[in-house]
Amino acid sequence: MIVIGGGPAGCTAALYAARSGLSVVILEKLSAGGQMALTEQIDNYPGFEDGIDGFTLGEKMQQSAERFGAVTELAEVYKVSLSGRIKTLDTSEGVFQGRTVVIATGASPRILGVPDEEALAGKGVHYCAACDGAPYRGKTVAVVGGGNSAAADALTLSRIAQKVYLIHRRDSLRATKVYHEPLMNAPNVEFCWNSTVSVLLHDNRLTGLRLKDVNTSAERDLACDGVFISVGRAPATELFRNELALDKSGYIMADESTRTNLPGVFAVGDVRTKALRQVVTAVSDGAVAVHYAEEYLAENR
Amino acid sequence: MLTITTNSFENDVLRADKPVLVDFWAQWCPYCRRIAPAFDKVGEQYADTLIAGKINYDEEPQLIERFGIDTIPTLMLFKNGEVLGAVVAPASKAAIETFIQETLAQ
Repeated sequence: MIVIGGGPAGCTAALYAARSGLSVVILEKLSAGGQMALTEQIDNYPGFEDGIDGFTLGEKMQQSAERFGAVTELAEVYKVSLSGRIKTLDTSEGVFQGRTVVIATGASPRILGVPDEEALAGKGVHYCAACDGAPYRGKTVAVVGGGNSAAADALTLSRIAQKVYLIHRRDSLRATKVYHEPLMNAPNVEFCWNSTVSVLLHDNRLTGLRLKDVNTSAERDLACDGVFISVGRAPATELFRNELALDKSGYIMADESTRTNLPGVFAVGDVRTKALRQVVTAVSDGAVAVHYAEEYLAENR
Repeated sequence: MLTITTNSFENDVLRADKPVLVDFWAQWCPYCRRIAPAFDKVGEQYADTLIAGKINYDEEPQLIERFGIDTIPTLMLFKNGEVLGAVVAPASKAAIETFIQETLAQ
C-alpha cells in the first residue's frame, strides 16, 4: 500500500495497514502531521487532557505507524498512474508501485488572488498567524477573512500586535460564536466590514492594503506591516485531476467508505468530500480505508 | 547538526572549505519544526557537497540583522564567504534540494 501524505489520515491508514500485515510506505514531502503540524494547541483530539501541540501529535502518529513496519519516505509526488491493477507513482525519490493507494494529501490555505501576492509571501503576506505572527509584536497587522480560522488568527494576533484590522467582504462574521465576544471585546481589533483587498501596497515588503467597499466601490488605503490571509482552504488534488472524480471545489469524491471511482484507490482526511474536517474524522477515514483496501485485495488476488 | 553562533560564524561559515547551508530558525516557529526533518535528511545526503548548520533567530540578533532575515525559516547558502542565494519556507524536501542544485549551478 502506498499512502500519499503523512498527516493524521495518512498515518492512521499506515498504522492500520502495517498492523494487519500489509507492506506500507508513506510518501510525505516535508514532515509528519500535515496541516495539524502548524497548529499550536489541539484540544479536541481525545486522550490528551491538557491538549497537545500539533507537531508532536504528528510525530507520535508517524511513530505509531512505523512501530508496525510502515516506512516514511520524504518524497514529493510528481505524477501518478492509478487506473491499472498496479499503481505507479513518480516521485523525487524514485518510482513507487503498489496494489492500493491511499490519498491523504490534505488541503492548504487558499490564496487571495491579488497582484504581487506570491512575491510578497513571507514579506508581509502570510497565511498562518500561529506560524508567522510572532515578529509582529507591537506592529499593525490585518487579517482577511470571516470564518473560524480568520477569527482565531485575529484573536491570536490581538495578543501580539498593537493593532489588528479584520477585513471581511460581508457585514458580519461566519465564525462560531465562541470567537465573537473575545473579538468584539479586544480593544485593539477594528473591523472593516464589506471590504475586499484590491491592491497590496509595497516597496520591497508590504506597507499596506488598498481596500474596496463592496457596496460603493470606494477605495481607501490602510497602512499595515503585515497581512494574514485566511480565506479558506484548497484541496491538494492537482495530481489526480485526470483520473479521479472531483467535486466543484476540487475535493476527491468519495463517501464514508473512502472509496474513489477507481478500484484500489482511497481518499482520506481533508482531501475527501465530507461534512466535518477535523483530526478525529481524518484518523477515522484512515482506518476505514484500510478495511476496504483489505476487502479489495482479498477480492482481487 | 552544527549550531552556528555569532562567534563561530567566521570560522564555521565564511572560512568553511565547503558550501554551507544555513537554516535560520526559532523554537516558536511551527514551520521551522516542520522543515527540520527534511533539512536534517538533506544535510546527511549532501554531506560530501556541503555543511548544514542552524542559526537561532532569538539568540543571534546580530546575524539576523546582518543578513536581513525577516521571515523564518529562511535557508541561505554560502560559498567562499559569500551568500549565493536564499529561500523562504521551502515546501518540501525536494524543494530544498532543487534550491541547492540550482544555486550551486549558478
